[in-house]
Amino acid sequence: MNGRRVAVVGAGMTRFVRRAQETGKELAFQASRAALDAAEMTLDQVGAVCLTSAPDAFDGVHRKGDYLADGAGGWNKPFIRTYVGGGSGVFTAIQGWYTVASGQADVVLCVAEEKMSSCQPHPQGAFLTIFDNILERPLGPNLLWIFALEMNRYMQRYGLEKRDIAAVAVKNKRNAADHPAALLGQADISVDDVLASEVLAWPVQRLDVSPISDGAVAIIMASEDAARRLTDAPVWVDGVGWNLDSTYWTNRDLSYPEYVENAARMAYGMAGITEPRKQIHIAEPYDPFDYKELHHLEGLLLFDKGTAPEAAAAGVTARDGDLPCCPSGGLLGVGNPIAAAGLMKIAELFWQLRGEAGARQVPGTPERGVAQAWGDLMQVGTVVVMGSDRAGGLRGSGLAAMPHPSPLRPDPSGQATQPAAMLGPTSLSDARFRSAAGAVDSPLDVRYAWDPGDAVGAFLDGLRDGRILATTCASCGRTLVPPRSFCERCFRSTDAWMELAAIGTVETFSICHVTWDMRPLEEPELPAVIRIDGSSDGGFLHKLGEVAPDDVRIGLAVEAVWRPLEDRTGSILDIAYFRPRERTLRRELVAAATAEYMP
Amino acid sequence: MSPRIGVTGVGWSGFTPTTAGRSYKELMFEAASAAYLDAGVDPRTDVDSFVCASEDVEEGTSIFDEYVPDQLGAVQRPVQTVASDGLFALATAMMLIRSGVANVVAVEAHSKASDILTPGRVDAFALDPVLNRPLGVPALALAGLEMRWYLHASGRTSEQCTEVAARNREHARSNRRASFADVDGDDAPLFDPLTTHQAARSADGCVVIVLASEDRTDGSRTVWVEGIGWSQDAPSVESRDWSRAVAAERAAATAYAQADVRPGDIDTAEVDDTFAYKQLQHLDALGLTELDTASVNRSGGALGEGYLHEANGLARILAAVEQLRAGDGRASVVQSWRGVPSTSAAVAVLKRDR
Repeated sequence: MNGRRVAVVGAGMTRFVRRAQETGKELAFQASRAALDAAEMTLDQVGAVCLTSAPDAFDGVHRKGDYLADGAGGWNKPFIRTYVGGGSGVFTAIQGWYTVASGQADVVLCVAEEKMSSCQPHPQGAFLTIFDNILERPLGPNLLWIFALEMNRYMQRYGLEKRDIAAVAVKNKRNAADHPAALLGQADISVDDVLASEVLAWPVQRLDVSPISDGAVAIIMASEDAARRLTDAPVWVDGVGWNLDSTYWTNRDLSYPEYVENAARMAYGMAGITEPRKQIHIAEPYDPFDYKELHHLEGLLLFDKGTAPEAAAAGVTARDGDLPCCPSGGLLGVGNPIAAAGLMKIAELFWQLRGEAGARQVPGTPERGVAQAWGDLMQVGTVVVMGSDRAGGLRGSGLAAMPHPSPLRPDPSGQATQPAAMLGPTSLSDARFRSAAGAVDSPLDVRYAWDPGDAVGAFLDGLRDGRILATTCASCGRTLVPPRSFCERCFRSTDAWMELAAIGTVETFSICHVTWDMRPLEEPELPAVIRIDGSSDGGFLHKLGEVAPDDVRIGLAVEAVWRPLEDRTGSILDIAYFRPRERTLRRELVAAATAEYMP
Repeated sequence: MSPRIGVTGVGWSGFTPTTAGRSYKELMFEAASAAYLDAGVDPRTDVDSFVCASEDVEEGTSIFDEYVPDQLGAVQRPVQTVASDGLFALATAMMLIRSGVANVVAVEAHSKASDILTPGRVDAFALDPVLNRPLGVPALALAGLEMRWYLHASGRTSEQCTEVAARNREHARSNRRASFADVDGDDAPLFDPLTTHQAARSADGCVVIVLASEDRTDGSRTVWVEGIGWSQDAPSVESRDWSRAVAAERAAATAYAQADVRPGDIDTAEVDDTFAYKQLQHLDALGLTELDTASVNRSGGALGEGYLHEANGLARILAAVEQLRAGDGRASVVQSWRGVPSTSAAVAVLKRDR
C-alpha cells in the first residue's frame, strides 16, 4: 500500500501575543481564514479538518477540540483533534499528511491553537498536572525543573559552555526581529544579556526560555492532483516521523533524545534521505529553551552528539550560515503558544522553500528542510521533511545524494512579502485584562482518587515501612525502580520483588529559585533525579536536603532521609529528601546566593 | 477504494462499575496483552503504530499521552493520542494503514471513571466557558433538552425510549462483559423527559483493537473494516440541530460509500445508546429504522455494558467483531457519539467474508 503524494499549498497565522483578547475559537478562526485567503480558497474546498492543541487546562475547557471545532472550520466536516504534548504542532502536518495520503480527503485544513493566558494565576499551572499523579506530583514539581535537570545533564555529559548555548537564544531572538508575528524579536540582544538574566532554575535563566503566548497557525494540505490545481508552487511533505519514549523519564539518560533520532530516521527513510547533513538545507528544530535546539539538532543527526553548541556559537546555524536553523526566530523569538508554535515551523519551511520569507529568507533558496517538535515528559519527537517543487524526488530515486543548493540561485518570487496572510489578534495588557468587564473566572475544581495499582501500591507500602522495593524482569534482566507490574521493554509481566538499600547517586539536579507561578523562593529548592543503587536504569524524581547547593554534583552519593514513622502515609513524601552520604558535605540548608550559581 | 484492512485482534479488561486497586496502566496492559495474543503479534516487533483515545480532564493528567506507551508495548514507537472517542482512533489507524506508513496498528481506549470523584464538574467543564458554564446548568441537562426536542420532532414517545432501555438490558443478560443487565432503584425522572433507567451508567474498562492491512491478516477469522466516516456538528449549544444526529448522518454517508453498502445490506448494528433516545435518533441517522430490534445492540450497548467514556466506540467494535466472528450476520454497522455536550460522531462498516 502506498499513499498519495501530499503538499502544503497555503499557510497563515496570527501574531503571537502574551495575552490575546480573542477567544481560542477566534484565534483558530483568524489563522484558518488567513491560510484560506493566502491560498485563495474557500472552506467549501476543504474535505476534512485536523486540529492540534496541547493541554486542555490552558483554555480551561474540557474536550477543547470539540469546543474549537467551529472556529477551525470543522462544522459539518470530518474533524479530529490529535495531541502529542509539545510535539503536537508539527504533528498537525503529520495528521494532515495521512488524512490526504490515505485518500480520506483531497484537501485538508490543519489548525494548531493555544491560548495559554486563560490559565490563571499563571499558565505554568497547566503543567503541574503533567507529572505522575502518585510519585511526582506530591513533590510539587514545576515545569522548569525538568528542563533544568535535562539541560544540566546535557551540559555535564559533553562539558558544554553556557555561553555557547546562549548563542541560540541570541540568534533566534535576532531572527524574530524580522518576523511580523513575533512576540520577542530583539535585534540588539547579546550573549551577555542572556548570561546576565535572572536565574530561574539553574542552569536555566530567564532568557534561555521561550515566552508564554497565545496564538494560532493554519496550513492547507492537498493531494498531488489537488495541489497542482491550487498552486504553482506546492511544497511537498516528503517524510513524516514520530516516536514516543517511555513514561519513566527518570529512567533514561537525558543527555540525548533517542526518540527524536527515531522519529528523524522514520521521516528520513520515507523521504529517501541518507545523508541529512548534505540533503537538509534548512532546519526548524524545536526551541522552547535554547539548549533544546542544540539537543534536537543532534537528535536530527545534523550534528554529532555534543557538538551543536560549538557550531551554533561559530555561526553555522545563523540565517546565512551553512545550516540555517530557526530562521523564523523559533519559539524563543516568535513565541511559544505550544501547538501553534510547532505548526509555525511548518509554515516557516513553506514560506522559505517557496522563497517567500521576505526579510527572513535564507540565502540560496533552500530546497529541502526539516521541522521538528518535542514534548511530553522529555519523551516525544515529531519530524516532517519538506521539499520545494525544485527539490526533485529523493523518494524512490535510489537515494542519490542531494547536492547543496547553489547559494546564488535566483529567488523566483522576487521580493515576496511574508507571512502573506496574517490576521489579529488584539494584544491585551495584564492591567486591561484584569479590569475588563465580563472576564469569566471558572475554577476547574475536579477531585480525583487515583488507584496506584499493584506495583506502585506495593512500592508505597514499602516506603511507609522505610523500604525501597523494586521489581525484576527475568527476560531483560533489569531491576526496575519505580517498580512496575510489567516490563515495558519486553512487554511481559515482571517476575519478582526485591528490596534495595535506600541509597543512590544524583543523575542530574537543578537549583530552583522560583515557584511554579514564578514567585521567588527564599530558599532554593534542589530537585534531582536519584538513581537507586542496584537499579538498572535510574530511579525517581526527588529533592536534596542537608547540602549546600554548590556542593551538589552529578554523581554525588546520597541516602534517603525518612520521615518519622508516625508521619508516614504510604507516599513518595515518606522520604523527606536525600542527603549526601559523605558526612562532611552535610549541613543545614543555606540560602543560595544567586550569583554564585551563575556560569 | 484501497486494499482491505481487517481487525485481527481484540482484547478488553474491566467493564465493571469500579476497578479498585488496579491502575489504568494495569487495565491497559491486560487488554493489550489479550489483543496481541488474539492477533498473534508481538507489539515490540510487529506493531508499526499505536493510536490512543483520551482526554486530559477525564484522566486528571495534562497531556495524558505521556502515560500510555509502556503498558501498550509502545516504548520508542510511533504513538499518538486523539482527543475523542475510540472510534476516531480506529479511523486514524485506518488512515495510517491506507497511507502506507503502517501495516499493523494497535488502537486503545479506556475509562477509569471511578477515579473521578466529581464527574459532574468534569462534564460542566466541557461547556462554553463564557455563555453556558456560568448558568450552572449540568451538562447532562442537555440530554433532557435534546430528548424533548427529538421526541417532539420525530413523533417518538417516552415509552419507546423505555422499551429501548429494557431491551438493551435484556440483551445484556447473555453478555459476560455486561454489568448492568439489572439496575438498582425505580425508574425516576433525571432531566425530564430523560429518566434514570434510560441513561447508561459509568463504568471502568479498556479495549484494545489490532488492525492490519490485508497481507498481515489471517484470512477466515478476519473481520474487515470496509468503511469509516466521522463528522462534527456545531459545538455551540445554541446553533446545533437538536432534532437529528447530523454528524452521524454525515459519517454514515462516508462509511457506506467507502464500503459500497446500503442500509438494507446491514445485518446487525452496535450503536451509541448513552441515552435510550439516542439509540433511536442514531438509527434514524444510519437509515436503520427497519432493522429488526433483536439485531440492534445485541451486546446490551452502553445501557447494558456501562458508559465507558472514550472507550464506548471500541466497546461497540468489540461486540460487533465477536458477533461477526461467531457467524452472527455478515455486515455490521458500528456508531459512536461522545456524549454531552459533544456533537461529533463516527461510523464504521464491518464485514466478514462468505
